[in-house]
Parts: sequence; C-alpha cells; structure tokens
Amino acid sequence: MRIFSSFWRFAAASLFFTFFCASAFAQTSYKQLLADEKNGDDWLSYSGGYKSERFSPLEQINPVNVSQLKVMWAYQMQAAGIAGAGLQETTPLVANGIMYLTEAPSSVTALDARTGNLLWHWKPDISEEVLNIGFPRINRGVALLDDSVFVATLDARLFALDAISGAVRWEAAVADNSVGFSLTLAPLALDGKIIVGVSGAEAGIRGFIDAYDSNTGERLWRTFTVPEPGEPGSETWQGEAWQTGGGSTWLTGSFDAELNTLYWTTGNPAPDWNGDLRPGDNLFTCAVLALNPDTGEMLWHFQYTPHDTHDWDANQIPVLIDGEFEGKQRKLLALANRNAFYYLIDRETGEYLLGEEYSYQTWAEGIDDLGRPIVKLNTEPTREGNLVWPSLQGATNWFSPSYNPITGQFFVPNRRMGAIYYKADVEYTPGAPFLGGGEQALDGDQASGAIVALDAMTGRQEWEFELLTPPWSGVMATGGGLVFGSSAEGVFFALDAATGNPLWNFNSGAHIRTNPMGFAIDDNQRVAIVGGRTLFVFGLE
Amino acid sequence: MIRLLSILLFSAMGLLIPSAAQEFNIATKPLTAISAEDLSAGQDRYGVLCARCHGMLGEGGEGPSLKRPRLSYAPDDESLKRVIGGGIPGTGMPGNWALGPTELHQVAGYVKSLGQLDAEEAPGDAEKGQLVYETKGNCSACHILRGVGKGIGPELSEVGLRRNSEYLYRSITNPSADQPKVSNRFRGTLNSFLTVRAVSEYGTFEGLRINEDEFSVQMRDMSGKTYSFDKAKLISYEKDFGHSLMPGYGALLNQEEADDMVSFLMTLKGDLE
Repeated sequence: MRIFSSFWRFAAASLFFTFFCASAFAQTSYKQLLADEKNGDDWLSYSGGYKSERFSPLEQINPVNVSQLKVMWAYQMQAAGIAGAGLQETTPLVANGIMYLTEAPSSVTALDARTGNLLWHWKPDISEEVLNIGFPRINRGVALLDDSVFVATLDARLFALDAISGAVRWEAAVADNSVGFSLTLAPLALDGKIIVGVSGAEAGIRGFIDAYDSNTGERLWRTFTVPEPGEPGSETWQGEAWQTGGGSTWLTGSFDAELNTLYWTTGNPAPDWNGDLRPGDNLFTCAVLALNPDTGEMLWHFQYTPHDTHDWDANQIPVLIDGEFEGKQRKLLALANRNAFYYLIDRETGEYLLGEEYSYQTWAEGIDDLGRPIVKLNTEPTREGNLVWPSLQGATNWFSPSYNPITGQFFVPNRRMGAIYYKADVEYTPGAPFLGGGEQALDGDQASGAIVALDAMTGRQEWEFELLTPPWSGVMATGGGLVFGSSAEGVFFALDAATGNPLWNFNSGAHIRTNPMGFAIDDNQRVAIVGGRTLFVFGLE
Repeated sequence: MIRLLSILLFSAMGLLIPSAAQEFNIATKPLTAISAEDLSAGQDRYGVLCARCHGMLGEGGEGPSLKRPRLSYAPDDESLKRVIGGGIPGTGMPGNWALGPTELHQVAGYVKSLGQLDAEEAPGDAEKGQLVYETKGNCSACHILRGVGKGIGPELSEVGLRRNSEYLYRSITNPSADQPKVSNRFRGTLNSFLTVRAVSEYGTFEGLRINEDEFSVQMRDMSGKTYSFDKAKLISYEKDFGHSLMPGYGALLNQEEADDMVSFLMTLKGDLE
C-alpha cells in the first residue's frame, strides 16, 4: 500500500467513498480471495489469505513510529442472548470498507471500518440448552464470498447472510447438536463452496469436514476423519471405538489453488485421556489431511500425535510456505503443534521433512525420520496423576501463528505449562462428556508464555519475548517489520520483528483471546484486536 | 424448576450441560444417597484433584477444611457441584471443567461425606488468643478483622472457615512456609501476597505484588503505599516465592500463646460482632 498524504489524494478518496462505495460494498469474489494475502487494504478470510500466513503487508506502521499508535475507534459488543457466552475469539474481516465480525455465541456484526459505527447485527436463535462440551460458547469469525457472509453456529448450523443487510439467504443443518456436534470455526470460502469442520470430540462424535454450495446451501461432500471398518486407516482402530472416535475439525484450514488441494487439521481421539478404550494409532486424529476440494477425496495424511492421550489436537493453523528446504525448492506446510514440536511437511506429497522441539516438553525424545514421535516411557495419564509438559492446552493452540514471507520468520504464541494428567473410566452416553480423565494444570506462577520467532525452514529459535502467563491469543506480523501479539493479562503489544524487543503496548482492560488482523482505510493502516468484549482499532492517523 | 435452575447455573459457569435423561438422573440424586461405588470413585478423583489443597480427609491446608456439615460457598448439593466444576472466582479454588455430571456427583458425594466427620478441636483458649492478637501480636497493624486494622495482609474475619489449625499455627510461627493463592480463570492459579522487590533509580522497594503484566507491576509496601512501575525502567525486579513479609511469631510467642491465637483464629467465621 502506498501512503499519500496530499489533500487531493484525501479529497479523491473521500469522493470515492461518498459516491461509489455503495456499489463496491459487499462483493468479495473468489479472485479477490486468491489475492487476499497480497492485498493489505482488505482482510478477506480468517487467516488473511489461503496460505494462512496472517501477515499484513502494510508498511505505514513501523518500528520507528509504532510508539505513536493510538485507538482510532472501539466497538462494544451486543448482549449475547444466552448465558455463558461472554468470551470472544473472533477475527474480524474487512472488505471494501466494511468490517464483519462475530460475537459469541454465533452473532454477526457489520461495522463501518472507518468509524466503527454499526451497519447491521444478526443474531441466530440459539437455545439456552445448546451443548458445548469441552469448549466455551465462542465463535471465531465469518467467511466472505460474492455478496454473502457465512457463519457457522454453536448449535451446528451454517448460515449465508446477505452482506449488505444481514438478511438470511439460506440455512443448512450441518450436524446434531444434541449429541455434541457444534461449530465454532470461521468457515473457509473457496470457488462456489463453503468448507466447515466440527467440534465435539469431548462428546465422542465422529469428526468430518463438509463442503456446501455457496449459492444454495446444498451439501456437496462430507469426508469423515475416522474411517469405518474396511476403509483405509481402519486398521488403526479396534472394535466399535471408531464410532465415537473423535477427530474433530474445529479450526479453519488452508488452500493451495495451484495444487487444487485443501489442507485441514484434525483433533484428538475420544475419549481424551483413557487410551485403553481405543487401542491403535487412531487415524486420522491429531493429523493434517490433504483433500481434493471438488470431491473431498483424501489425497494424503500426516499424523502428528499417534494414539494421543493428552488431548493434543492438531487443530492449529497449517501455514503454506514456498521456499528452499535443504537445497531444494519445495512447497511446504508448516505447523507449530500443540505437542510442542514444529513440523514441516511437503504439501504436494505429505512427506515428513522436519520436526523440531520449539517449547519445553517431557513426553518425547524427539521425532524419528518418518515423523513419528519417539514417546518416552511413563508419560501417559495414570489413575494417580502424571506430571507432563505441555499441559492439555498445549505448547500452543488454535490461536494463530504468523509467517513473514519476506524474512522467512515463523512467529508462535507459546504456552509453557505442565499438568498432572489422570485417567478414569468412562462410558459413552450420547450428548454427555466422554473424557476418561482430566488434568490439573500447574500454578500460573510456575508457568509462563512467550512469543517465539523461528526460522521457518529449520524451526530454530531466533528470539523470544517472554510473557507472564501462558497466552490464549494469536500474532500477526506486518510488512513494516512488526509483530503484534497479546497476553492473558490483556495487554496488546508490538514487537520488533528483527529482535523481539517490545516497542509499544496497550492495556485493553480485559483478557485477550483473539487474533490480531490488519487493514487500511483511506490509505491509513489499521490493526485490530478484541480485548474482553470490546474491539479496538489502532492507527497512526 | 429445579432442573431449569440447574441448567441456568451450569451454563452460567460455562460448564457442560448434560442432555441425556440418564445423566440427569445421576446428577439430581441427593448426595447423601450416594452409592458405595460412586463414593469410592469420588474418593479416587478427589485424591487427584482436591487433596493437594484440602487434604485427603478434608482436613484442609492450603484450602479450607471440608470437615464441616455446611460449606460457606456450597451450602447445598447443587452449589457444591457448581463450585467443584466452576471454581470460586477471586479465591484459590480453580474450576474442573473436565468433570462430567457423573464425576461431579461422585466427587461432590465424597466431599459431602467429609462433612460428617468430626470437626477439629481447638488446641488452646480462644479468649486468651484474642488478647494476644490485640496486644502482644499487634496483628491489626497489618490485618483487618471485623473492619478494624490495616489492610496490608489477608483479611481475617473468615479465616476460621478457610484454614485448619495446622495451617494457622504454621502461618503464625513460620509465615513463609505457605503461599496463599488466588485462582484466575485466564491466568491460572497465582500467588497472592507474593513478596516482590523492585530496584529503581529512586531506591529499593519491597512489598506485596498486587498485580502484574508483561510491562508493569503494581505493589504495596508495608506502610500501605501502592506503587506502579514500568518494568523496562527498573534496574531489577525479583519475586521472592519462598519469603513472606509477615514476621514469624515463633520467637515472640510461647507455645501456649501460639495455641491460643490459633484457637482464636479458628473462631473467626465471618460473624460480625
């Protein structure tokens, strides 16, 4: 983005917005989505582009002037309508001067991105008795395509809303909430398709990934993450365990248009902590899947944590990176896993390339040449409790990492916390927790957090910025040489991407559990974060 | 109505809401009618999750004694389950979100059974202990009791509900032995009344940490003055986890006086005089 400060530029921009925005508003083409990561003015999809870099190329805010950053406007969220829906994990999107965000549990709000003034607010009718087993009543954001806004709901429905007015275009029933299915993720919009995944492994669901026709809501395909007997991967299950095997798909995936491949991650096997009830590797849980987006066919898979017993879902953001790995130009998939290892996979073939420890852990000696963890003895949950690092929330979690394609740095919010894991008996009951144990996390003063910068090609740490307690919020790097992040203490901050030195910070006044995003309005760079129930938008002018 | 109320309460805590009728049957059975099998399962779970603070037999320690027929935050079955599942904000009691309704019923049943055990006996004379508190101990210089005193250390009007005699004795004679904790939903269980030391260009400041983030720390010194420091501007900042700013009274008080003081503190159960 170029920054012009002349009066005439301003006047021309004002005229444009005054007279032409109404027609430009509310159109997000697939072509625009393909160019999302290069376009700093908009932020059109959850991770700021199909590669999921969460990188804002804007350069106006830089290490020299970031200390001048100030709140341009704030937006305070609406009443949730049901109890227990106070936490916010949304990433706002911005298209053509309009910001679209979700509010817990599953509402959608459109704001004027210049002022924060409300344009419309849509609230689905969600029952007080909706099931959310194993996670709070939250939502992580919308998808945009053509003239619609797509939102997945806590009670497992998918809605298409008119982007101009918020009116419902169609509604699709994705799954049955009464047995524990729920949707909290931001959908992913492809060409004419909306992709969603489900939560619910803590209730013993059998996970899947769905594609819906963006115009009609008709379901185009469904790919299960746990195979039924006779299907590939079914040899890693015994008896009927696959029917309640988990493998939820609760975080937005990535897409490579050239390879026409969709990448989607999967969560823990069920029950979480009692692995005796599901012997075997439990494919395709705790894995990343490569799918043909036209058919849902699985092209390859890579399982990060076979037979997981610590609830280390692989539902982290798969970041698509092109670069030279060990002397060869490759198309890669990078993922900092909840299990404390950073992985590189060849995204054309699924070949394992690298597994590097990026956070303190006590459960594995390392990763072998095929990508399988070398698990240490006595690291399983026990009846009496067993202390293992990381805690069940992991060395990181759903909140986004960021990749700077210019410097090759991979930034990860890092949780450094151990937990006492225990195992218990459990029987499956539809719509009830199916856990088989639990954890007791160590005290906050015995834990810490960090923002870590890794060399994306080696996984080696370049620097870290230590946080007081383990964070629950994502990071965003910018073309201006900054990394924005947040702490559990509620502080939003900017770090120098080269050194990790803190350059600016702002106390939001409440716990932050969202990802930062960036956009521009009137040629001025903006950075946004939600703290508590308030959205803050920052800029220089 | 009770069922609706329990749903509202559970969902208000962000807890898990069972839908299956069978689960509700288990969850709504009175805790006093718990089966031997469930009681045993509850004891196992209690041993993992609760005993570290409350003691295996509910004798208390870092957490309050549970050997009382009526718990202040959990006077009935529903509130007991709610507290075990959701914790008590602003105290050291964390939530246990991974407990399903059956497990909550089992753990709560075991906790309820502890309330039938005999309460602790006081080791000395509470009236004499009050005199020690007011005179030789000069405790009100740092503690507020029934509205009187200075609010540097913990408020003591309900300390008899929260601490057992062993913990109270240790607090008087060797305050550094235990570190009170407060549970924060987002930041984990943190030390409250943590001793911190900040060295700035203006001098050295020692006090109790009131709050802290990555960039700043708020502390209160023994005179009650509150300070806020930017960490980047400090020469040094350290947390002294093993050290309480309260002086030990082991040398000042003889055994009888210490026992009397413990007995007095055990009587403090939130009643205003």
